[in-house]
Amino acid sequence: MGQAPKMNQKMIWTIGGGKGGSGKSFVTANLGICLAQLGVRVILVDADLGGANLHTFLGISPPDLSLSDFIQKRVFHLQEVLLSTSVPNLQLLSGAQDLLNAADAKSLQKRKLLRSIQHLDADFILVDLGAGNALNVLDFFLLSDGGVLVVTPEPTSIENAYRFLKSAFYRRLKGAVSTPSAKALIDGAMDRKNEMGIQNPSDLIEAMKRVSEEEARKVGEEVEGFLPNLVLNQVRTKKDIEVGFSIRSACKRYFGIHLHYLGYIVYDQDVGNSIRKRRPLVLENPRSKAAQCVAEIASKLANKHQAAFRLQGESG
Amino acid sequence: MKRIEEQTYYEILEISPDATHREIQQAYEHAKETFHKDSVAVYSLFSEKEMQDIQAAIEGAYRVLMDETSRKDYDQSHLSALNLKWPKSEKLPEAPESPMGKKTYLPFSEISIDVGEGPYRGKMLKQIREKMGIELKTISSETKINLKVLERIEEESVERLPVQVYLKGFLKGYAQCLGLDPKKVIEDYLSSMGPTKKK
Repeated sequence: MGQAPKMNQKMIWTIGGGKGGSGKSFVTANLGICLAQLGVRVILVDADLGGANLHTFLGISPPDLSLSDFIQKRVFHLQEVLLSTSVPNLQLLSGAQDLLNAADAKSLQKRKLLRSIQHLDADFILVDLGAGNALNVLDFFLLSDGGVLVVTPEPTSIENAYRFLKSAFYRRLKGAVSTPSAKALIDGAMDRKNEMGIQNPSDLIEAMKRVSEEEARKVGEEVEGFLPNLVLNQVRTKKDIEVGFSIRSACKRYFGIHLHYLGYIVYDQDVGNSIRKRRPLVLENPRSKAAQCVAEIASKLANKHQAAFRLQGESG
Repeated sequence: MKRIEEQTYYEILEISPDATHREIQQAYEHAKETFHKDSVAVYSLFSEKEMQDIQAAIEGAYRVLMDETSRKDYDQSHLSALNLKWPKSEKLPEAPESPMGKKTYLPFSEISIDVGEGPYRGKMLKQIREKMGIELKTISSETKINLKVLERIEEESVERLPVQVYLKGFLKGYAQCLGLDPKKVIEDYLSSMGPTKKK
């Protein structure tokens, strides 16, 4: 394993993508293990409030303690429900098991949960999200400036990912402005056939300037700061790999969003086998092609972390 | 992100203005593949009409940029325009070709002028140039850097300068033209702007 990077700052990565079955939990679990093996402290958060099963990807039976206990106020601090795993440096915050209304967690509870996740003590916090683009899912995704979309190179998965990205992007912008007129303008801009002729973030900023220079400045900052990433899962051919670059280009042209193509994971029978055995692929078969792809992505994330905090250190 | 009809050919193909023939070819193939009517990456986003416009723009960009003469003409008329929002490139764009190696080169660096040791801020660069008796428009025509951009560099109009990655290229070209150490000029200039300048 590589030398442990010197890190004392936290990075939150939220892993979503819209469509169920694209491999979000697989990626979260295996990425978390690879990062922990690099020597950094990692917490995995299962925020799939409707169908939590990240524990299964880690080979852990449904835990006694979970987010349910925190949401139901049976425990006061989120760290009390953290579970150790067999992998050094890796802890799990298991998702709600039996809370039927967890997916609709009330706004106050949700804000408290989001805040508590941000305050967890770790170098990396990876948050596994549920499918769909319900507001709760979007709010968890927006915990991070650099969320990760896990997408397969299939039309349905890509279509859902675009919908998810668009919803998250506009929710972020809307959260940044305060006046009702600015919020209404953002709502209007979401419809590409809007009568104001707003087609992209630049148009929106220009239109916002007519509402308020200050609100326009805030929107500009949020547009600049929105830096999502893409992981293409289950690629089978070279052409599939290139789909990732096409998604990047399409996002730039259509949404004006700079999507970073973080990497791809090849389709590998070993993935299915490892899930059936309830053993994480990177532990069960680290030499498999898919495991190597995940390890490469983990190494890129660790480098990003180091680079980000080195820069912060230099400018601070 | 500007609308496609407002973008430069380089923006349309997502390449930097110093892209080689090979890079243009690769970018064209990628763009063609991406915006093909059967592409899984775009079918849910664009209407048929939008796709046709994008495809036409890609073809137009490719045709001009692959032809050396057309590209040169295009660069002269478009890249010197003020709105220098070129696409993000992983690669630092090279400075416009320095006139140093050309036969028509004006040997500015051989003029015996004390150029000092910096720090090379905008005002200092202007003083050196004026001591050498060189018009800014001469620098502009030699380096192909837009005159207004050069003026802004000298005035240190931080908010109106191009993004840093391109600014570095321009500073390099300007410094070479005056026979100064490009590295030192870039370092001094950027540090004088402070950390607030956009990257």
